Amino acid sequence: MIKISRYILVAIAILVSAVAIPKLYWLSFDKPIRSPFIMYSSIDHDFMIQRTGEKTIRMDNTGREYTRDEFEQKLPLFYSRQLLISGTMPDTIDGVYMDIHELNKARSFFRLRPAMIYAPDPGLYPMFESESGRANLEMPKDYFRISWRMEFIDAADNRINEKKSRMFTSVLQKRGFVFPAKKIAGIPTTRKSCDEGYFVTDSKDQLFHIKMIEARPFVKKVELPGGLKFKHIACVDFSDKKFYNYLVSEDNDIYVLSQDVYELTKLAIENYNADTEELRIYGNLFYYNVVIRGDNYVNVTILDSDYNKVDEYHESWTGRTDSKQGKIFSYIFPAQLKMYDSNISFTDFYPDITKGFNWLILNLLLILVHFYIIRKKGFSLKNNIFDLIIVALTGLFGFIAVNVFPNKSFA
Amino acid sequence: MFKSVIYKEWIKTRWFIILLTLIAILAVGNIFLTVQHNMSFKEASNYWYQILFQNSHYFSYLKFVPLIIALALASSQYIPEITDKRIKLTFHLPLRENRILIMMLAYGTASLLISYSLVFLIFLGLSNQFFAAEIVKLAIISVIPWFLAGFAAYFMAGLIILEAIWKYRIAYFIIAAAFLLLFFETGLAGSYEPINLKLTLITLLSSISLLFSAYRFRKGEM
Repeated sequence: MIKISRYILVAIAILVSAVAIPKLYWLSFDKPIRSPFIMYSSIDHDFMIQRTGEKTIRMDNTGREYTRDEFEQKLPLFYSRQLLISGTMPDTIDGVYMDIHELNKARSFFRLRPAMIYAPDPGLYPMFESESGRANLEMPKDYFRISWRMEFIDAADNRINEKKSRMFTSVLQKRGFVFPAKKIAGIPTTRKSCDEGYFVTDSKDQLFHIKMIEARPFVKKVELPGGLKFKHIACVDFSDKKFYNYLVSEDNDIYVLSQDVYELTKLAIENYNADTEELRIYGNLFYYNVVIRGDNYVNVTILDSDYNKVDEYHESWTGRTDSKQGKIFSYIFPAQLKMYDSNISFTDFYPDITKGFNWLILNLLLILVHFYIIRKKGFSLKNNIFDLIIVALTGLFGFIAVNVFPNKSFA
Repeated sequence: MFKSVIYKEWIKTRWFIILLTLIAILAVGNIFLTVQHNMSFKEASNYWYQILFQNSHYFSYLKFVPLIIALALASSQYIPEITDKRIKLTFHLPLRENRILIMMLAYGTASLLISYSLVFLIFLGLSNQFFAAEIVKLAIISVIPWFLAGFAAYFMAGLIILEAIWKYRIAYFIIAAAFLLLFFETGLAGSYEPINLKLTLITLLSSISLLFSAYRFRKGEM
């Protein structure tokens, strides 16, 4: 029993060392890696790159450097406000008149990180009145859930509004909704230009648009190609009102769903992985700059306003693992146990095994040191063989653990 | 003999555990007075909105309450034992040494369990009164690690107090502190969902850690 209690303590010590010590290491020695900002020039029809660091460098795709003003003039759709102030905004680009109102209307920004997909689900959402006739949206007094039916719960007394719940449930059933809902996506805030309700997938992965118009349910089933399932739906509120949302399928294809006509269009983006990569989409009058960022690379695809591919760019750089600090890390720690993964918003144990076997050197050294300690204290080797195995496997973490909870008593 | 050991533990700890449990219940009462106040002043739907979408934790006041109860219980139970090495007398009782320790440990664990259950049930009941099941579920997932941290702290405190050598006591303290930090990571409400079962298992395993220190104590490892 006592022997077991010691090994449990050793195991706990290994666990907490593997969490705490590498975390302290990175807190002390990590250096920021600044990724380049890649934009597409509507003047040169080529990529422009801005690298920040001690000195900000602005260049084009051939490596030619530019001053800040020159750089901004190559990117009038990104820096239109600055160019208007400086008086250097061109009147036309590719024959299209630069109307500032149109430029602003077409400008959009969208960002999706894996941690936004894998996050706790609130499960309750406010259903706004979409056509209240008021200038501003108002927060409703109830929240809805879609479980075995659609239910509205009044926040003030935590009771279900039966009448409203039955009304919405019955319309959903008539439209072929199969309860419960799998995903509910919307923009649950009053700070948006207008309300478009929610896009909801049911238990059979059918997609529905649900909103409330003059206190009555509006439910529309969206026709999908057979077998299409969505991993994530992100509703957007862009001024041009071209589409309701960006949708990411289980196969990591990106779609947009056009406003009012509900036409699903697949974007010409390849090799995107929503589980590990960050997606940013900058829209303007001519193009969508689709930026996909991994740990140590960036892939940029330019789409025209009809979502056809125009150009693409790829760049990679030295990641944290290959940096000087990363190499030293690989000589000290056989692994790191993280409580957080940057791609998931849940707390868990995320083991990150160190690549390569550099840590074996320190492990061997620690075995020798531990062997010396055993001999010096006159303990029997037979009784300590398991401790040596622990040190061999877990290195520094095990060495700390077996020495904080020493084996002397069992010699 | 079993009754006598339990009675001795009860005499040592009763006021600590009763008083702290009452304070904890008052803390829960305070949480829901605040909830009630916010619901009437900010409008209930806005308050729900903050909880659901702005990561506002109505229960955060509870965070260190189980930990404080556990540390007070462990101190009241084990510090008298090491004063003048009284525990050595305990080891002379006509019972197997481990049995007495396990009885002490069982007493402490049961006291904590009763105290925590009371606090948790009141928290759960009142939460259900004010909030929908989804909000309550996220709250439960978030407070469970804090109660587990209480148990873990109780087990670790026993280990540290019964350790005779200061050098080791400090080392245990560092390991225990790092261990307890695992239960207090900040995140979204409900983010502990995948890890709660693992933390429960580790906490259960850590329950017998006290035996290691006590063994060293009575073998005179110093």
